[in-house]
Amino acid sequence: MAGRPLDLLRGTLDVLILKTLSNGPLHGYGVSRSIRDRTRETLSIEEGALYPALRRLEKRGLVSAEWGTTDTGREAKFYALTPSGEAELADGVRDWHRYVEAMGAVLGHPSR
Amino acid sequence: MTGRQGGRPGPIRRHSVKEDVEREVRSHLALRGEELERSGWTAADARVEAERLFGDRTAIEHECRKITESRDRAVRRWEMWQGVIQDVVYALRNLRRSPGFALTSLVTLAMGIGANAAIFSVTYSVLLRPLPYEAPDQLVDFLETGNRGGRMQVAWANYVDWEREARSFDGLAAYTVGRSTVIGADRPLRTSVASVSGDFWTVFRLAPVTGRFLTPDEHTPAGAPSIVVGHSLWQNELNGAPIEDITLEVSGRRAQVVGVAPPDFDFPGGAEVWAAAEPHGNTSRTSHNWRVVGRLNGSTTVDAAEQELDAMTKRIVQDEADADPDFLAAGVAATPLRETLVGASRTPLLLLFGAAGLVLLVACTNLASTLLARGTSRARELAIRSSLGAGRSRVVRQLLTESLVLALAGGAAGVGVAMMVTRVLRSVGPATLPRIDELAVDVRVLLFATVVAAVSTLLFGLYPALRLTRGDAEAALSGGRGNSLGHRGPVWRILVGTEVALALVLLVGSGLMVRSVQSLLDQETGFDGSDVATTELALSRLKYESGQDHARWYEGLLAELSATPGIRSAGLMSEIPGGGSLPNGRIELDGDLSKTGIAGYVVASPEAFDALDIPLIRGRFFGPQDGPDDAHVVLVSQGFAEATWPGEDPIGKQVTSGGMDDFWEQRIFATVVGVVGDVRMRHVATEPYPTIYWAYRQRPFRLQFGAEVVAEAEGGNAASLIGAVRTTVERLDADVPVDVVPHQAVIDRALASQRFMTMLLGAFSIIGLLLAAVGIYGVVAYSVARRRREMGIRVALGAQPSSVGAMVVRSSMRLVLGGIVVGLVGAVFGARVLESQLYEVEPGDPLTLFGVTAVLLGTALLASWLPARAGTRTDPMITMRAE
Repeated sequence: MAGRPLDLLRGTLDVLILKTLSNGPLHGYGVSRSIRDRTRETLSIEEGALYPALRRLEKRGLVSAEWGTTDTGREAKFYALTPSGEAELADGVRDWHRYVEAMGAVLGHPSR
Repeated sequence: MTGRQGGRPGPIRRHSVKEDVEREVRSHLALRGEELERSGWTAADARVEAERLFGDRTAIEHECRKITESRDRAVRRWEMWQGVIQDVVYALRNLRRSPGFALTSLVTLAMGIGANAAIFSVTYSVLLRPLPYEAPDQLVDFLETGNRGGRMQVAWANYVDWEREARSFDGLAAYTVGRSTVIGADRPLRTSVASVSGDFWTVFRLAPVTGRFLTPDEHTPAGAPSIVVGHSLWQNELNGAPIEDITLEVSGRRAQVVGVAPPDFDFPGGAEVWAAAEPHGNTSRTSHNWRVVGRLNGSTTVDAAEQELDAMTKRIVQDEADADPDFLAAGVAATPLRETLVGASRTPLLLLFGAAGLVLLVACTNLASTLLARGTSRARELAIRSSLGAGRSRVVRQLLTESLVLALAGGAAGVGVAMMVTRVLRSVGPATLPRIDELAVDVRVLLFATVVAAVSTLLFGLYPALRLTRGDAEAALSGGRGNSLGHRGPVWRILVGTEVALALVLLVGSGLMVRSVQSLLDQETGFDGSDVATTELALSRLKYESGQDHARWYEGLLAELSATPGIRSAGLMSEIPGGGSLPNGRIELDGDLSKTGIAGYVVASPEAFDALDIPLIRGRFFGPQDGPDDAHVVLVSQGFAEATWPGEDPIGKQVTSGGMDDFWEQRIFATVVGVVGDVRMRHVATEPYPTIYWAYRQRPFRLQFGAEVVAEAEGGNAASLIGAVRTTVERLDADVPVDVVPHQAVIDRALASQRFMTMLLGAFSIIGLLLAAVGIYGVVAYSVARRRREMGIRVALGAQPSSVGAMVVRSSMRLVLGGIVVGLVGAVFGARVLESQLYEVEPGDPLTLFGVTAVLLGTALLASWLPARAGTRTDPMITMRAE
């Protein structure tokens, strides 16, 4: 789906990152590319926001970080979901669906 | 396994966060560039594009760094607290496992810290606390100096000149204070009444609680008699009634209360009534009856003010060619007021502070040896911990935590002890120390105790901690019950020896004080008041106008008392022997007005000599024939007779009373009819002063200002007379304040400061002795425990248990003897600082040294023998199997 790129809603970046990491450890660039690919470029992540967000998640103990090597042999810092990160992700997803339901009840649901 | 749990990040250094962030950003740019290249960008363009897409690199890096660093700080804090809590919990657990050790240490610390905190509170409230007046450093006390050296009070005329001309002051006030009867409150009172000049209240910059202070025109003979009363007198004796309704009889006048002084105002010390000083045109520069206090103006120093008044006084006295130079001022001496108030207490307090410091040292030494002993027995545990990877700093920290926990608990207990001691001091101290009534354990004291606790922690915690971690782990492990820290090691010798030496110094100090008080009590005072009750009386001068009125009242009282069952004899004397005061003045001799001398002036009834057992040496006492209208007669003290008429018979000689009574103008000579023994009137430690005793019915003038009535008990029990004397006085006149005490109480009051010092030093030295005993006991007990196997073998091989025990005691006593030798040397030198407090005892008094050494040796012997005996009593087989 094309169209103008959307600005990320406040507070949704964290849950996007957590979701992205739920498939396995990734480095920061990987997280950013994965989100871009999956949303077919509707959502693009400001790198200026991504890295601080990753570190804040790390500070809260939701993700852990470790240096490793990419497939192409480059060194990169890999982030992985911690158990409390998984719990946080579940909460975030549930909250998001409630949010969409509520918004949809007012604005109408998109036709597929 | 480090001390940390797995999974926690290793040590974090600040610059590593910066590196980490930069590395991550570099990695991101490289990955992005890689991808751009795959979609056809040149390497160079891809690098530039990746940078562009990334945005403000510096800002992002900075933000990332801040986040991670704040996390690291939180982690570090958390870890620290975790570690502290862990250490504290561990320390508490350890202490609970050895309650004996914990209790000993706690008591030791509580004593050391308690003694120090208490003495610090006293030192603070007496010496350090600022006077409760505005800008107290500007308040200065002035005395005049005499031509033969020494200091005397100020002549009123001199003060008037100073006050008029001096430039150094914002205010200069003269005052004097004396005990007086105050009538008009709920009950008659005997209290201190001050006469103060007009500037007095300005000098102290005070405001009255209610009413006003005295105005300058009240300081003239024409002024209406007005007084200011103290706050507690107003509250307690006058029920806080409106002051305009209160008039009191003070010093023979009925005066209106015009104001109430602030609650904490206590100057001159003890004064509860302030009356206007009345100069009544006194132009004499030879009668020195006033003290002077001044407030310096902002730009003048104490020295400059002293110089100004000194120069002025030297100029003034040049015009007094007629006056006896012995009675003229030669100059002026200034002292900061605070110094005047507390100066005399400084030496005793600093000495006590020193003694308390010694107690603390003994306490710390004791703890060091106890902790060391304990540490040694824990050497295996620590060695295991350390070989399992606990770092040396970690073990040291653990040991220090244990000390700190002890020190804090000891500090808390010490504050408790200090509060108890302070309460005792507050009840005992007032007779001795100025300003002590305000004594309290305050925040500063708590702070002081905490500092003492922390310092002692370092003192006794650090040494064993370092000693234990100095690579002894291997020895401790391989040696089993080995001797890695050595119960025979030099450190313990030093610690035990030090304790003994310090305790000995304390004991010698208190021993000297005890001997000193003993020799004060053993003085040949010239009187025996042990069976005498005494009371200071002073009648209303409004009700009894003339001296003769007073004399008649006393005559009636003495008659009643003498007839009272249980009273052997009752008399009066204007001063009480040993009680502190004896007025003296110039007299004329032998019917020749140009022949002068100086003598103490006492008015007495003959029964007083009998009651106080003052012996008649020649001639006769006063008798019924010496009535008011008969020829005047006197008794003289032996010392006066020998000094005045050496080799002559004093009986029949003639003297006048000088300016001491109202016969001054008439110059009536009285005849010496008897010689009595010398009496230490002023203080049991003060040599008798040459004194003349006048018959009270002939010279009743002095009685108007008060007299001491003495009654000797038939059975010897002075206290039994208190009720009888009191009720007799009250029956004759209910307006006479009466407080009857055994005469011994008067002597005790005079010795209060020596007793106070002796009591505290005694308490400190007993604490020191007990602590040293505990220390010796602990070390011997530990040594016995270590050598149980060896001793078991010896006993098993046939040695007498007693001889094995004796061996232990011998080795401990060698340490004690070493300590005693050092202590004796220290005491002989240290006791010199006590010299000013000693009375007829040399600092090196052999009896004291011998006595306390014996006490210490005995205690040490007992402290060594008890654990040694306990050690040799156990069955050797049991101890050997335990290995």
